[in-house]
Amino acid sequence: MEEKVLEILEEYCEEALTYEGDNMMEEGIIDSFTVINIVSELEDAFDIEIDAKYVVAENFKNKEAILELVGRLLED
Amino acid sequence: MQFLSGGFVILWVITFALYYLLPSKCQWMLLAVMSGLFYVAGMGSGPLALGIIVTALSTYVCGRLLAENLAAQKEALSHCTDKEEKKAVKSAYEKRRKRLQILHFVLNLGILLCGKYMSAILPFLREGRLLSPVSDAFFSRIVMPLGVSFYTLTAIGYVVDVGREQCEAQENPLKLFLYLAYFPAITQGPFHRYEKMRAEFAREHVFDYGRLASGVQRFVWGAFKKLVIADRLGIFVGNVFDGGRTQITGGIYAVAVIFYMLQLYADFSGYMDMALGVSETFDIALPENFKRPYFSTSVAEFWRRWHITLGAWFKDYVMFSFVMSDAGRKLGKAAKKRFPNLGKHVTALAGTMLVWLFTGLWHGRTVSYLLWGVYYGIIMCLSLVLEPCYASWREKLHIREGRVWSFVRMARTWLIVFAADILIRTGSLAQAGEVYLAIPGRLGIAATIGTLTDYGLGRYAFLLLLFACGLWLFVSICEERGMDVRKRLSALPLPFRWGCYYAVALLLIITGIYGGSYDTAAFLYQSF
Repeated sequence: MEEKVLEILEEYCEEALTYEGDNMMEEGIIDSFTVINIVSELEDAFDIEIDAKYVVAENFKNKEAILELVGRLLED
Repeated sequence: MQFLSGGFVILWVITFALYYLLPSKCQWMLLAVMSGLFYVAGMGSGPLALGIIVTALSTYVCGRLLAENLAAQKEALSHCTDKEEKKAVKSAYEKRRKRLQILHFVLNLGILLCGKYMSAILPFLREGRLLSPVSDAFFSRIVMPLGVSFYTLTAIGYVVDVGREQCEAQENPLKLFLYLAYFPAITQGPFHRYEKMRAEFAREHVFDYGRLASGVQRFVWGAFKKLVIADRLGIFVGNVFDGGRTQITGGIYAVAVIFYMLQLYADFSGYMDMALGVSETFDIALPENFKRPYFSTSVAEFWRRWHITLGAWFKDYVMFSFVMSDAGRKLGKAAKKRFPNLGKHVTALAGTMLVWLFTGLWHGRTVSYLLWGVYYGIIMCLSLVLEPCYASWREKLHIREGRVWSFVRMARTWLIVFAADILIRTGSLAQAGEVYLAIPGRLGIAATIGTLTDYGLGRYAFLLLLFACGLWLFVSICEERGMDVRKRLSALPLPFRWGCYYAVALLLIITGIYGGSYDTAAFLYQSF
């Protein structure tokens, strides 16, 4: 799972892979267009539905948070 | 009640004095009562405040029902054993939540639309003879409730947040009323979020002289931008666009549009400085709404720095809600199948267009505003689609990143905003067309310089504007470089510090544009 998520991040926002902070959305590393594309790719890749309620700064603060979100949704 | 009126200053001083005398548990109650008084005074009479009461009550009830639904769903899910059963239970409860939310949106958006658009729709209804005398009299009496555009969206945001489980539903209706009607923010925002404001109101607030000084400084700076800059620029702009003159040169039109861009910014950011300054004296932090937008190197960045909280609202509650809905997903999947390369962007593009259509309609009720929204939507979509090409174009043209290139990009952003502002300031498509043609067609530089002082501003007024805008630019550059100007000012030796205070206060008193009874012109964004 991790490999695929990182592959998607590499395609849409390479900077996210090396980002070490915890506020990717508010620091402008990842914008709303990129978030939408990443969400769409994650939904297709893992056959999950990422509801709008999960699209908050907390779940996209860095790559670890995105991995955790996907993991959580796969468990549900 | 305007911020720059004696009535408001009295309300502010009384609230401030009582606020720090009261026990911390009661401070929010005082703010709620004063917000109610401010609202009634602003509307002119009690019954006219009915709109906000209906919104507050419906939002409170909807929030509580959503919370009950979520609790019942949790309970029902705890009895489910397999995945399919869980899915069915979730879906059933979700449907009920959606129905509740739709009911709330219809009611409150109905109030917003009636208040905002009734005066625009009435002439058409009369022309089509669709109104009886009784209904005509009834609809003619509908007035736009104060701050309806702001508190309606704030209320909808709260209901969505409760449904998304991003916040707990408020149990106390008066606390919810305070969230919606908090008087420094009710007329023009900023759009605050419930969870952050709930925590702000619940905190203990202790008097602090430094905070009071900082809040008052910010209020005075906002008043300076409004009275010395915005209202002075407004004289020239008004004379050009509303003066009924003919034979205006393209150069005068260009100057008027640039002045309008600055007027809008000084007026709205000045209001925000005043709102945030007043709130700071109560130790309540409101979100920032401007971040020096004219330093932006792209339109997307401009809109991340201009009216920040409105953009964030539309992004969170319109764009993401649409893109992550069943309709948005279906659209995305179909587009990906049909256009493998571009298809992946289709939902984001559709969401962007939707957001800009709503933003246009939110700002005004004319075709010009709708076109203004479409214009920005197309530019945003183009920048998204063309972004991968930019790097290769720069390489081919041997353009190096640096200060010059940044300035070129900034100038390009100004030009795009300039073209958009013509649409909204002229008020009619015919006049906008005349300005678009006149600027390049009959620029008339010599005639422009010769007639510059014929539009309400004399030579000294121009010099004063130059000085005030220079001061504003200086402060903006300092802030852009990360300096906290107010903190720096507070650290100056006493004579210098008070010298600065007196200078700005004197400028404000002597050169501010005041009305006949020392009142001020209405804020531009109040009409949006």
